[in-house]
Amino acid sequence: MSVQAEVDQPLIGQHNNDITAQTVSLWITPVSGLIFLAAFLIFPGFRPPMSPSMPADQVAAFFRDHTTSIRLSMIIFDICGVMLVPFFMLIVVQMKRMATPSHVFAYSYLSGVATGATLFAIADLFWLIAAFRPERSPNLVVLLNDMAWIVFTAPVGMLIAQNICLALAIYMDARPMPIFPKWVGHFNLVCAAVMTPAACAAVFRTGPLAWNGFVSFWLKISMFSLFVIVMFFMLRIAIKRQAFEEKGVA
Amino acid sequence: MTVISTPATPTKAVDAQKYRRPGKLDQWICFWSVPIFFTLFGLIFVALTRVMPPPSPNLTTTQVLYFFHHHALTIKIGFTMLMVVVGFASWTNGLVATHMKRMSVGSVWAYGYIAALAVGAIPGCIFAAFAFLTAVFRPDRNPHVMVLLYDMGLLMFIGSLGCFAAQYLIFALAILLDKNKIFPKWLAYVTIWQVVTEGLAAPVFIFKHGPFAWNGAISFWQGTAIFVFWQVCLLYLLHRAIKDQPLGEAVQDI
Repeated sequence: MSVQAEVDQPLIGQHNNDITAQTVSLWITPVSGLIFLAAFLIFPGFRPPMSPSMPADQVAAFFRDHTTSIRLSMIIFDICGVMLVPFFMLIVVQMKRMATPSHVFAYSYLSGVATGATLFAIADLFWLIAAFRPERSPNLVVLLNDMAWIVFTAPVGMLIAQNICLALAIYMDARPMPIFPKWVGHFNLVCAAVMTPAACAAVFRTGPLAWNGFVSFWLKISMFSLFVIVMFFMLRIAIKRQAFEEKGVA
Repeated sequence: MTVISTPATPTKAVDAQKYRRPGKLDQWICFWSVPIFFTLFGLIFVALTRVMPPPSPNLTTTQVLYFFHHHALTIKIGFTMLMVVVGFASWTNGLVATHMKRMSVGSVWAYGYIAALAVGAIPGCIFAAFAFLTAVFRPDRNPHVMVLLYDMGLLMFIGSLGCFAAQYLIFALAILLDKNKIFPKWLAYVTIWQVVTEGLAAPVFIFKHGPFAWNGAISFWQGTAIFVFWQVCLLYLLHRAIKDQPLGEAVQDI
């Protein structure tokens, strides 16, 4: 009962900067996204994506020949990749505004983001470690390159669980004007389904499921980018509407 | 100058509250993901990839190569499955945290619980998969590198102690100090036992034989037995906590 009273209490004396913080977080996304895209284009390992069947001496030669551009692009990845965290936290905040029976999906989403972001941070570090001493034995360069590609491509489980719980939260949102329209829920389920096959990248060395294949590389990255773009616009609308509602109240 | 608002002023919290339909469907979905996830987890780690019970830390290089050669297919199947389903562990974290937030002790430990397990998922679960998948990806790799990956996978899996010790400690403290009786006190004592087992697993970094090795009676079997017991208790008590939660109960949001 005391808990109930706490909720009914107005937030006394709180200067409300929430909308500002959310708007800034939203705009960090396209800025870091563009820098990220530049790094993506600089990394020679993505143009075209390196084949898993490349022999060890060729992989070692690749790191020797492209040391500078690998270091440059991966340092940018290192800095910018996790800059998507504020964007994901916006989704958490908006999930908490939904009229769902509880906040369980918002907390599950947050938990998934924390693990997923760490995985991304680890992948680019492996490429940087490989490029740090390109004269290392080719066996070890291949090992580091394999681990980077596997960690970069295969662990799609966090995004899948996040997308499904966001979709479920959208479906259960009982607001008369929901935070996100229902089709965003369907879209999230499609994203989860399209990204799932990339989990096989740690097994196949050729074909569409290999880490350089159409499904595991191009389709997964395109789907993820589309997800960020769609959610950017949806969040922009949700934040604007929240600002309007709160102004109306004040 | 801030003005003390009248209680009639709507707040953000009330805003969503007003449309919220009483129900528990979202919690039940998360709840039922737990037994499904743990069944898959058992299938992956026990039946397919042979990480549990762990093979010996005392194998020769040839034996390690044989292990990876012999189990390559099931390691590939099992850990690819893990790549897909590992995220559902975050639903369990969200559900436990949701009930910790109903406790009288505030949100600090609920958030701590999520953070500790979000960290723990990487060295304590998913990195074993990366190491083993990398090993079987190229069976022609240098044998010393194969042994390195074998050690890396198993030591991270069995020897990730702190993330889980922190999780169990704050969970036990929250239950002991909670006055809203969300979970019974005896669960706190089982949970403290879990903190102790993390400590007992510390010698895996030193011993290659005996009860304290990573496949040993104390470091592995004792810890796993208590983990399974704890997990079953948690599942049962989470079920009860959701069932007993009053419909439409408002929860602190700080």
